[in-house]
Amino acid sequence: MSVILSTIVWAPLLFALVALFLPERDDDERARVRTVALGGAGVSFFVTTFFAILGQIGLGQGGGLASAYQENHTWFSNFLFQAHYDLAADGITLPLLVVVTTVFGCAMFHSWKIHERVRLYVILVLLLETAVNGVLCASDFVLFVAFWGLLLLPMYLLIRVWGGDGARRAAAWFAGFHVLSLVLIIATVAIIIVEAGARSSDMSANLTTFSITAETVGFWLSFAAFAIAMAIFPVHTWMIEAQAKASPGVATILSGTMLLLGAYGMMRISLVVFPVPAHYYSFAITGLAVVGAFWGGIGALRQDELRRFIGYMNVTQMSLVLLAVGAQTSVALVGAVLLLAGQSIGSAMLTLVSGAVEERTRTTSIRAMGGLVTQAPRLAGFWLVAAASVIGVPLLAGFTGDFMVFAGSFPEHRIATVLVMASVILTTAGLLWVANRVFFGPVRDQFVRVRDVTLLDLTVLFPLVGAAVLFGVRAGAVVPVIANGVLEITTRISGG
Amino acid sequence: MPPDFARAMTVALLPEAMLVGIALVSVLVALLRPGLRPDIHRWIACIGLVGSLGACGLVLLGLRNVRSGVAITVWNGGFVVDSFAMFIAILACVTALCTCLISDSAVRNIPSRSSAFYALMLIATAAVEALAAQREMTTLFVALALLLVCLVALGALVKTDPRGAVSSFEHLIEGSVGIAAVVYGLVLLYGTTRSTNLDAVAMAVGAAPGAVALGVALIVLGLCGTLGVFPLRRWVGRVATNVPAGAAGFIIAMSLIAGGAALARVTVSGLGPNVGVWRWLVPIVAAVALGHASLSSLRETTVSRLIGQLVSAQAAMLLLGLLAFANGSRGLPAYGMTAFLGSLGVTAIATLAAFGVLAMLQVAGIGDAIDDVRGLAHRSAPAALMMTVAVGTLAGVPPLAGFLTRVLLISSAADTHYGWLAILAVGATVLTPIAALRFVATLYDDAGDAVPFTLGATPLVSRIVAGAACLAGVGLVLLIQPLLAVATAGAGTLR
Repeated sequence: MSVILSTIVWAPLLFALVALFLPERDDDERARVRTVALGGAGVSFFVTTFFAILGQIGLGQGGGLASAYQENHTWFSNFLFQAHYDLAADGITLPLLVVVTTVFGCAMFHSWKIHERVRLYVILVLLLETAVNGVLCASDFVLFVAFWGLLLLPMYLLIRVWGGDGARRAAAWFAGFHVLSLVLIIATVAIIIVEAGARSSDMSANLTTFSITAETVGFWLSFAAFAIAMAIFPVHTWMIEAQAKASPGVATILSGTMLLLGAYGMMRISLVVFPVPAHYYSFAITGLAVVGAFWGGIGALRQDELRRFIGYMNVTQMSLVLLAVGAQTSVALVGAVLLLAGQSIGSAMLTLVSGAVEERTRTTSIRAMGGLVTQAPRLAGFWLVAAASVIGVPLLAGFTGDFMVFAGSFPEHRIATVLVMASVILTTAGLLWVANRVFFGPVRDQFVRVRDVTLLDLTVLFPLVGAAVLFGVRAGAVVPVIANGVLEITTRISGG
Repeated sequence: MPPDFARAMTVALLPEAMLVGIALVSVLVALLRPGLRPDIHRWIACIGLVGSLGACGLVLLGLRNVRSGVAITVWNGGFVVDSFAMFIAILACVTALCTCLISDSAVRNIPSRSSAFYALMLIATAAVEALAAQREMTTLFVALALLLVCLVALGALVKTDPRGAVSSFEHLIEGSVGIAAVVYGLVLLYGTTRSTNLDAVAMAVGAAPGAVALGVALIVLGLCGTLGVFPLRRWVGRVATNVPAGAAGFIIAMSLIAGGAALARVTVSGLGPNVGVWRWLVPIVAAVALGHASLSSLRETTVSRLIGQLVSAQAAMLLLGLLAFANGSRGLPAYGMTAFLGSLGVTAIATLAAFGVLAMLQVAGIGDAIDDVRGLAHRSAPAALMMTVAVGTLAGVPPLAGFLTRVLLISSAADTHYGWLAILAVGATVLTPIAALRFVATLYDDAGDAVPFTLGATPLVSRIVAGAACLAGVGLVLLIQPLLAVATAGAGTLR
């Protein structure tokens, strides 16, 4: 009996339970709490990475294998429908799992910068990791909803308790939007269970007996739910607020993992379960992607706060993913998954660097910064690497994703693709403009004592740089794996 | 009377008889030895409850080979000991047993009256057990009245200030209005159908549809008051606020179980699908009650009232399961009653858990206002954790058991053509978690100048039981299969 996926999902929770009973009266005890938490994130990361490599071999070779790993036990059956403790990792899940466990590992290293209520902080982060990994692995609708719901409380508290001024409002925005997305997903699942006639909440069950009305309603409910989670225009405000007001570590998790889940859900549920309306309304989806891409790009250029800027960059990046969802071609969807990986890594890196910059300059205003490259050249280097990854510079994570999304979307929606490509100019300009304002130009007097990156910063940022390079250089090894996972979506859309 | 029947009757009535007998023993001991420690009465009550549970076990053993799930039927079908009655009896016993073990704070102030407290608790439990077996309206009314008197007396007995007496009096008034509604409804039904047996009423509804409709409506509204939902639900907040938490949890949870059992017996088991009036009245009541309780929970400023509102919202949610009792979509059986009984169990335990934690805070001298528990996590991390889980379960915060049961109830309603009510319930599911989140967030805020405290003033056994009740909110997510299996068995005789 395989317990690999259960280990990946539940190891953080087990370590959180251990941390719960550790004291935190002095620095040594707090360090012990952090170390235990790092152990939880580490176990999850190493198991994921090791088995992702094995899975990559299995899935990359094809041969009809749908999932690298699966665990399936009956959860409850004495009811209207059967629910299963069904975890599966297919070609879409595996690379995303590698990315999120990497981001959580870095966030856990970053917890060494947290000095107040360390135990609660790491427990909440580990709880959040359990939820995120669970959402990615869940192959049962009720299980998916349960893990999706588990995201709520830890993230709400993390934003509210460790955030800066205005964090309460940001946390409230997050909670409101997340609860809304949750109830929309519950409604979707209720429709699937009642209308599909499968009497099972298994995602792989035969769900082909929908009426047109039920399918259309289900599609739009799920689309709205995951659009909120993806923070695409016009439901992006919660993410901008949370990104700006949460502590850097929490903002890293938010932009590095939470947005990814929305896109994952859209591909896994909206496209697979409701393929007919997804195809029928693809024009509307791409229209939304075009508006979102420009809205994000222009919005980013108007920002003066570093992390608000990153928030709007995320809106643009997610619009690119939405374009692929609208195009629904195999190439575009593979590109979307790669883009998600690249966006998560790039955005997490940008957030961590911006946190480091804010920590040193004691300001969040872009206009107030300048000339930091003289004092902190390595920090500037990390920003440029992250920016390059987001922009889509070759040999970094974003390049292959961007390329495949545009190449795959163009045959389906030519004008929309061209327009979204044009919006990338805004993104690029924005990232370079910010780099110029923050790191270059004359050195400001108040920043002459600014330190460059510390060993802790390097420990936090290097794994992300490594992941960005790995996904960029070895994209050829990842693409067949993702293509294997995307096959189910494209088969459903084409009526299979 | 054949000897086998007499034996079966004895076994069937043993759970109730055991409780009443032990209650009398407790009172007698108090009369003969007035200076005994209060603990003695608590343990006597525990023995009675364990005995009653054992008796229920005996009945269940006898039910193993009975396909119909009915152990015994007497008085022309007016008293039915079946798997549903056993489910309710066991739930009531477990609730009372937990209360016995966490009620130290409530009884601490009334050592001389502890025997009365535990005797009333046992009789209330017996009343709920008897009520769950009734299909005869007259005895159902008697059991309801007995329960109300016991619960009101309990609240009045443990009062620590005049507000407790006032709230008990208000509970009595509101409860009496509910029972009066049941009586008026009963009279109307009797006048129309010449019977108080629910089966006979269901068969004779064609006689005077208007009078039957009015009678059924009055009965349903009266029983909703016992359940703690609109329109007679103000007593829940008052009891929660003014009665010491150790006893308030029992009063609210027991009333919830009794109201749920009585409604299921009267509507699903008794009137059935032939009497249509309750099938359009209950959804309306559920919709209004859900909206009212969920919205009210957002503006509460005290912990006890917030818990009361959340219980009320969860009780209203139960009505969804009650409606989904016949056939679902595609002609397959509906599982609303399974969801109903499963949710009833989870809600009762979560109610006890929340009030159990509140009782510990009261013992530690923490105030009832939400501002008083600001930063609780700094001052007592275990208390904050337990309160988080208990309130989260009641509010349906995912992925706790309360959330899962809400999903089951909503999917049952959606499956039985109550889609509009399911949509409304989904909407209400937004509100209560937000209320709970706001509350939980204050627990983890900065504590300011407040000093840390421990829960050491509460006896260890009370802390363990309250902790276990909180843990059930998590554990029942994993163990939902056995719970649903038991609930399905219980619901089987109703469908």
